[in-house]
Amino acid sequence: MKNFFSLSNLEKEYGSIRDLSKKILSGDIRTLSRCITLSESSREDHQFFSRSVLEKVLPMTGKSLRIGISGPPGVGKSTFIETFGTFLVDKGKKIAVLAVDPSSSKSGGSILGDKTRMERLSQSDSAFIRPSPAGETLGGVSRHTREALLLCEASGYDTIIVETVGVGQSEATVSNMIDIFILLISPGGGDELQGIKRGIVELADLIIVNKADGLLRSEAENIAREYNSAVKLLRPKINKWNTRVVTCSALENKGIEEIWSITEEFFKKFDQESDLSAHRKEQFQKWLREEITQNLNKQIYSDKKINDLITIYEKKVLIGEVLPSAAAYEIVKNFLKK
Amino acid sequence: MFNDNNDIFILLRNSSIERKIMVGISKKLFEEWKELAQRELKGKDLENHYWITPEEIKVKPLYTKEDLKDLANQLENLPGLEPFMRGPRATMYTNKPWTIRQYAGFSTAEDSNEFYKKCLENGQTGLSVAFDLATHRGYDSDHPRVSGDVGKAGVAIDSVEDMKILFNQIPLDKMSVSMTMNGAVLPVLAGYIVAAEEQGVPQKLLSGTIQNDILKEFMVRNTYIYPPKESMRIVSDIISFTSKNMPLYNSISISGYHMQEAGSTLTQELAYTLADGIEYVRAALEAGLEIDEFAPRLSFFFCTGMNFFMEVAKLRAARFIWANLMKQFNPKDPRSLSLRTHCQTSGVSLTSQDPHNNIIRTAYEALAAVLGGTQSLHTNAFDEALALPSKLSSRIARNTQLILSEETGVKEVIDPLAGSYYVESLTNQVIEKTLSLIEEVEEMGGMTVAVSKGFTKIKIEESAAKRQARVDKNEEVIVGVNKYVNKNLNEEIDLLVVDNKKVISEQIQKLNKIKKERDNNAVNTSIEKLRNGAKNKGNLLELSIEAIRSRATVGEISKALEDVFSRHKAVSQSITGVYGSAFSEDTLFNEAQNKVKNFAKKEGRQPRILVAKLGQDGHDRGAKIIATAFADIGFDVDIGPLFATPEETSKQAIENDVHVVGISSQAAGHKTLVPELIKSLTENGGEKIIVVVGGIVPPGDIEDLKKAGVSAIFGPGTPITNSANQVIDILLKKNLLS
Repeated sequence: MKNFFSLSNLEKEYGSIRDLSKKILSGDIRTLSRCITLSESSREDHQFFSRSVLEKVLPMTGKSLRIGISGPPGVGKSTFIETFGTFLVDKGKKIAVLAVDPSSSKSGGSILGDKTRMERLSQSDSAFIRPSPAGETLGGVSRHTREALLLCEASGYDTIIVETVGVGQSEATVSNMIDIFILLISPGGGDELQGIKRGIVELADLIIVNKADGLLRSEAENIAREYNSAVKLLRPKINKWNTRVVTCSALENKGIEEIWSITEEFFKKFDQESDLSAHRKEQFQKWLREEITQNLNKQIYSDKKINDLITIYEKKVLIGEVLPSAAAYEIVKNFLKK
Repeated sequence: MFNDNNDIFILLRNSSIERKIMVGISKKLFEEWKELAQRELKGKDLENHYWITPEEIKVKPLYTKEDLKDLANQLENLPGLEPFMRGPRATMYTNKPWTIRQYAGFSTAEDSNEFYKKCLENGQTGLSVAFDLATHRGYDSDHPRVSGDVGKAGVAIDSVEDMKILFNQIPLDKMSVSMTMNGAVLPVLAGYIVAAEEQGVPQKLLSGTIQNDILKEFMVRNTYIYPPKESMRIVSDIISFTSKNMPLYNSISISGYHMQEAGSTLTQELAYTLADGIEYVRAALEAGLEIDEFAPRLSFFFCTGMNFFMEVAKLRAARFIWANLMKQFNPKDPRSLSLRTHCQTSGVSLTSQDPHNNIIRTAYEALAAVLGGTQSLHTNAFDEALALPSKLSSRIARNTQLILSEETGVKEVIDPLAGSYYVESLTNQVIEKTLSLIEEVEEMGGMTVAVSKGFTKIKIEESAAKRQARVDKNEEVIVGVNKYVNKNLNEEIDLLVVDNKKVISEQIQKLNKIKKERDNNAVNTSIEKLRNGAKNKGNLLELSIEAIRSRATVGEISKALEDVFSRHKAVSQSITGVYGSAFSEDTLFNEAQNKVKNFAKKEGRQPRILVAKLGQDGHDRGAKIIATAFADIGFDVDIGPLFATPEETSKQAIENDVHVVGISSQAAGHKTLVPELIKSLTENGGEKIIVVVGGIVPPGDIEDLKKAGVSAIFGPGTPITNSANQVIDILLKKNLLS
């Protein structure tokens, strides 16, 4: 690929691409965290630089279990990851947690409080936890997180958890970069089924009803039953895997073993059907297409002349002179002519 | 003229006619006054002249008889009688003045004991022990997590031997002792009981108070150890034990103090405290006690801040509401309805700028507490925004009360502000607001539910962020901070310096000695019994007393219970937008926002700061306000877990790749812990991450911290817009250089 940017300044500041990739492979935390920062940066030279490092270590990626965890706010995702992650660390696993936090205020700033709920896990030397602000664009989340995931794999983490907050579009994106998608829900409220979009339930390979403790236990079990009958209607996402529903109490450390054995079973099935790598290849294809769309989008909207043209057509559309579809056709044609 | 006067005399002599006519006159007069006032305001609307307090109470510029029209219920009260609004005792200070109870603790039991004895000689009438944070959290002084905290914010107590030194030559059968302890409440209370026992004083003669208020710890102060449910069991075990064996002892001090310190409004403080109280009553009833067995021994603890009349009204309202709330439990003993309270002047109202001003603030606050009818009072020392109190500042604080008590005559009349149009009307408004807040909590299912949902904590944090914004915008004046700032001030103040390394080594020596001399088999047996009692239904105070007698340490007892109960982890919630929405055209705020935008453009991301607390200091109000305000300015803010070690904080800073670590320090641990943090950052490749410190930093520490590599230090009262601007300036400068 042609080098559009002068990378020598960046190499001076961060080290050479060769050095950095070596350090990544040796598991140096500082380098890993800085490379993730660079891939999250809105500066194109930063992005290019981090891609160069990532390309160097790409052959060493792909060896982890990629787990996506999502659920509505307040469901106890962080507490679950704390318990689940600590359980895995005790089993000798190396865990990386990538948490995407949407809490961005008007100013562009955000509060990332996740780790306060992962006190024990965050203290472990076998765990790397990186909360990232969602920033402005959804597409951004997708690219940052994919690249961060690959960087973590190259650094030797064998289990990667991608945590997304909320229930929305980002889940679909995330499900395109992980192997198993876990949806967390909690009892309390009653209209859970309506609260979570059907589309997200369809993405889930495993649904966990959390907070099955204390007063909420029986309610949690009821909800699990409801979901169990609901998911029977879903088409299996991969061969022979039917979405499973279990209850757990992350607070009381109950149900974690079962969740892990289901996860293992899931990957075993993947292995037997030998379609894990096919699945991941498909994800890379999708990623490519997504990137093309986003790149085009970005280029069109950052082109001043095209923007002027859009303004002109907008007026025409508003007075009913031109149809939006016809205007879009003309604008894109103009852009391509350039 | 003459005739007119004569008429008035006649009217005054005939009171029944007077009443009729005065009302008529007063309406006419009032209109006249209004017109006159309107004229003096030169066209400005009188309505705009109302003062809206943070409690959302509208205070008018003038109160009249009209305002008392509907308050008959409230006005016809007398002290000592139900509902005790005018005081829990019939004679109040006219018979026995309030107890002067100064809260203090100096590093070691030896130093504290010496200090207590001197205070008692000089007119103090009750003791109040401040423990260090290691003790609060149930760690012995040799535990690796507490190296920065031992002996810092109070006295280190590891065993009954320390307790005995603490009360050496203090007759525990005569002296009432208050102990601020909530987390490690079992071994500490047991230690006090056994120390007394070995002095020859039986349990039934012990008088004093243990704070034992765990619910507010989960809300604001964070010196808990076990999860809420298990903690509530400990509370009711203590209530049950003391109600049977220690009839003169206050088994709990239900505290609003720390809520106001954390930034709550006065009505929030009152409502959440009373709701906590009701929750403890329910827990004790559930444990099988009769209401009159324990309710008379419940006591309260409020903060007295600078909103003078509102503070007086708050205490009157507190007694009125408590009596009415307690009726639901059908007590037979009227004392079960009466609210008795300790008060402490506000620490958060103290400033590090021009610290002598704090003497004056404390004096006004003390007056408010006394006019409100407190049973005992602590007055803060003027240097507490800078360090722990010195001998001089402690003396001035104590004398503030002695002068108030002996020279001003306030003791001579009971509830002297009763009947004031303003104070009565304000009392009524505080009652109304507070009741609606209590209702909100009760509807959620009571305080344990509200606390575990984090509801009240968030409410208080919202109020705190709003207040900070008012101060930073100069809407709320703090003399010497945002108005009348004395720029050339250069006074030397002698502050207390704690050599924490020396304290640790002394404590470890004592621990080793006790562990060598005691019968370890007996210790193991008593600890095992305690563990079993925790699993089953044994009274945990009774079992702790046995363990303490066998010379088990505070840490060992706490650990045994932790094995069964687990150690509680805080769930941290945060808010955004509250601070920022208060600013629209404030220049400093906009300036900071613009600088952040500028930085983000250059750097490719928002500036990222990790706001962290180190050691066992759980006061997270400052950290929370900084977090929300910085996020509103445009920072990405990571919040670190409470009770972190320097190494853990450094790991988080590096993993999250932050530009800045901001350490919030309220309890003096920074001197040891911050240099360790910087060392750990440097060793792990984070040497470019800058470190700033905010909170209570004695001037003497500043030089040391700067030498260790701290880039900036912000004292209490620094407007956040200032600190944010400074931080971003440092970052921009570094950014240009690299």
